[in-house]
Amino acid sequence: MAFNGHQRDDESINEDETPTEQPQSNKEMPGCFSNDPNNEAAASAGRATSDRRTSYSTARQRSDSVKKTRPPFPWFGMDIGGTLVKLVYFEPKDITAEEEQEEVENLKSIRRYLTSNTAYGKTGIRDVHLELQDLTLCGRTGNLHFIRFPTHDLPAFLQMGRNKHFSSLHTTLCATGGGAYKFEADFRMMADLQLHKLDELDCLIRGVLYIDSVVSSGPSECYYFENPTDPDRCIQRPYTLENPYPLLLVNIGSGVSILAVYSENNYKRVTGTSLGGGTFLGLCCLLTGCSTFEEALEMASEGESTRVDKLVRDIYGGDYESFGNMMSKDKRESVSKEDLARATLVTITNNIGSITRMCALNENIERVVFVGNFLRVNTLSMKLLAYAMDYWSKGQLKALFLHHEGYFGAVGALLELLHPS
Amino acid sequence: MDKAKSMIDKKGASGPFHVNNGQSQRGFHSNGSCCSSNTFGSSTGGSNSSTFENMHHVHRGDDAECNGSPAKRCRLRRRTESLRRSRPPFPWFGMDIGGTLVKLVYFEPVDITAEEEQEEVENLKSIRRYLTSNVAYGKTGVRDVHLELRNLTMCGRTGNLHFIRFPTQAMHHFIQMGRDKNFSSLHTTLCATGGGAYKFENDFRTMADLELLKLDELDCLIRGLLFVDRVSFNGHPEGYYFQNPSDTQSCVKKTCTLDNPFPMLLVNIGSGVSILAVYSENNYKRVTGTSLGGGTFLGLCCLLTGCETFEEALEMASKGDSTNVDKLVKDIYGGDYERFGLQGSAVASSFGHMMSKEKRDSISKEDLARATLVTITNNIGSIARMCAVNEKIERVVFVGNFLRINTVSTKLLAYAMDFWSKGQLRALFLEHEGYFGAVGALMELLKTTEDP
Repeated sequence: MAFNGHQRDDESINEDETPTEQPQSNKEMPGCFSNDPNNEAAASAGRATSDRRTSYSTARQRSDSVKKTRPPFPWFGMDIGGTLVKLVYFEPKDITAEEEQEEVENLKSIRRYLTSNTAYGKTGIRDVHLELQDLTLCGRTGNLHFIRFPTHDLPAFLQMGRNKHFSSLHTTLCATGGGAYKFEADFRMMADLQLHKLDELDCLIRGVLYIDSVVSSGPSECYYFENPTDPDRCIQRPYTLENPYPLLLVNIGSGVSILAVYSENNYKRVTGTSLGGGTFLGLCCLLTGCSTFEEALEMASEGESTRVDKLVRDIYGGDYESFGNMMSKDKRESVSKEDLARATLVTITNNIGSITRMCALNENIERVVFVGNFLRVNTLSMKLLAYAMDYWSKGQLKALFLHHEGYFGAVGALLELLHPS
Repeated sequence: MDKAKSMIDKKGASGPFHVNNGQSQRGFHSNGSCCSSNTFGSSTGGSNSSTFENMHHVHRGDDAECNGSPAKRCRLRRRTESLRRSRPPFPWFGMDIGGTLVKLVYFEPVDITAEEEQEEVENLKSIRRYLTSNVAYGKTGVRDVHLELRNLTMCGRTGNLHFIRFPTQAMHHFIQMGRDKNFSSLHTTLCATGGGAYKFENDFRTMADLELLKLDELDCLIRGLLFVDRVSFNGHPEGYYFQNPSDTQSCVKKTCTLDNPFPMLLVNIGSGVSILAVYSENNYKRVTGTSLGGGTFLGLCCLLTGCETFEEALEMASKGDSTNVDKLVKDIYGGDYERFGLQGSAVASSFGHMMSKEKRDSISKEDLARATLVTITNNIGSIARMCAVNEKIERVVFVGNFLRINTVSTKLLAYAMDFWSKGQLRALFLEHEGYFGAVGALMELLKTTEDP
């Protein structure tokens, strides 16, 4: 599993490609991702286009050969998880008038549909705040969009793909996650689409390393919490993932996978736990009657888990035990739905934290990166994890987080499309 | 791995066990005549009850273990008499006040001489009678008769060791009873361990004028466990494991003793879970714990199914199907996740189906109970396995009342240890499950009055 952008046609791609390691100064300038000395820092797509044209004559031979090896639009990366489908879409902004003329109708319509909406159907959402603008990928400049919808609604998505004659675009659809295997036949039958299946952990790592390297403007992709237990002083701080290895990567989706990453191409799945985001949501739905992740988090933020859990002082002393007070009927009657939601969140989060800490110890790794959509809009869990790592390791372990949370698999899939390993 | 050897083979005893037990061990008396033993298990080969009964008949009281020349008997008698002076007065109790249950062990002397009986104070007699002639106490107290250790010799006395439990919630009733029976007038030390020893210390004092001798629960756990394993379970081994745990057809329970018990990973599943790495009787460390224990199982079950007791919860769980509730690997992948060796039948996300309304409407309470049990159990198994790997220990012993009458969890743990470690780890279980802390507390009582 090689790093993006440097496997094929190295010479031709290098200059136009978003580099993996950038000289410090370039990193500060928005829109500038190229090492090509002819390219000035470009803040807008338009300028990028004209710059490219200027340098085109000298680079035409090279970029022509790139064009030949570039896959046709549209460029997607898909991660079909147990609960959510994550989609990344590259919207080219450097389309020439000529290109626009040649563009087929359905491709144009797809582009317009995706970029002019932020919600799709009843449950699809485009996370606009995560959009990466003026990215250069495979010689093209554009915006990278991040879209998600429940796996439950995949049939509707396939239907749409069929209606828009996606298959006629002859594009490869790179997909990862369990659903790439589970729904492979459905894609073929319902929308005449062939999936190029990829391993989710390969894609995850590839996606993480890539995104962290390209995010150069605005908040750094990676961050941690200072003073996680003090609500007044708790603050997010950026963190540079330079020399990231070794790294413990904890992916909290429906379930949890924990990976020890030693280098770009060398990692192992240490362990996993089935008590993940799906457990939190499932239990919450059962205990409180809520029906969405957002509702569950809302309730949790208002509740107090201590009425539900047996605290150390309740017994002793003794061990803290989750839901322990719920054995008593009167206690059961005195807790609210919010308390239950809170207790569920805290229990699941702390369990993950505990297992993570053991792995970090076992593998001798001090840096832990938490990703996955369980942490989406879930500052409570992030802070709990930050606190737990810090406290129980007496400051030895650091908990790190990434803004693009659950999208790395999809990004990795897109990268595979553009730069097959 | 452990073989089902009897401890006699190992120790090569040809006579009563206790005579050979010259080494001083924690909680044991170095004096051979008053070490704790079960003479039942002492005969070579199989235990011979008639032999024992004869012995018991002929040698009552302190001389029970006396075989040999008059001179020897005389020396032994002097020692036992000096011991008697330093023996604590009856009644002998050990208490473990946990988060959910109070575990009580009571030593019922059966070698009471006529003289002793005469001198016995009324309330002591009444306590003895009350405890031994009932198997249920009040609404919630239970004596686990099947766990009784018969004809044990402790501190020079022979008797039966009884195992009693009641919910910690009923503690005040218990203390009340202690007051009503004027327990404090017996001037006996009440050795207690578990968190409740701290929590209820004041109540004991103010309500029943009783002083607790507070002991560390993990010290007591280990001491008690090693003791019961050593004296064996009325001639049978205390420990057991499952052979072929991954195969429902040929999975069979096999007994074993804790030969060369160290190092062992001890997983105590009570309300919460503690995991200890034990290197020797006196050398252990608490590796970690988890808050998802028996208390979580019961608490969640009560919330999800409306059940009220542990027994009800297990009953429901035995009838349910957790795969309707949990999202399995095959639900996500459509089959196995081969790359990382995850079978389709493995749980990817516990309760993962419950975010779907249709699925919620289609499952039963039994399914929920089962899923709760499986989730908690597998989580413990997973954590235990990581600790075993971390600490490089191959033997994992599971104790605690979460496993009481809970074959589902016991087998799941056996399977998990075996499967995920590819046969490297073995899960062991002990019949007296959750009582070891109380036993350890009792031993501490007897130890503190040992001859210097």
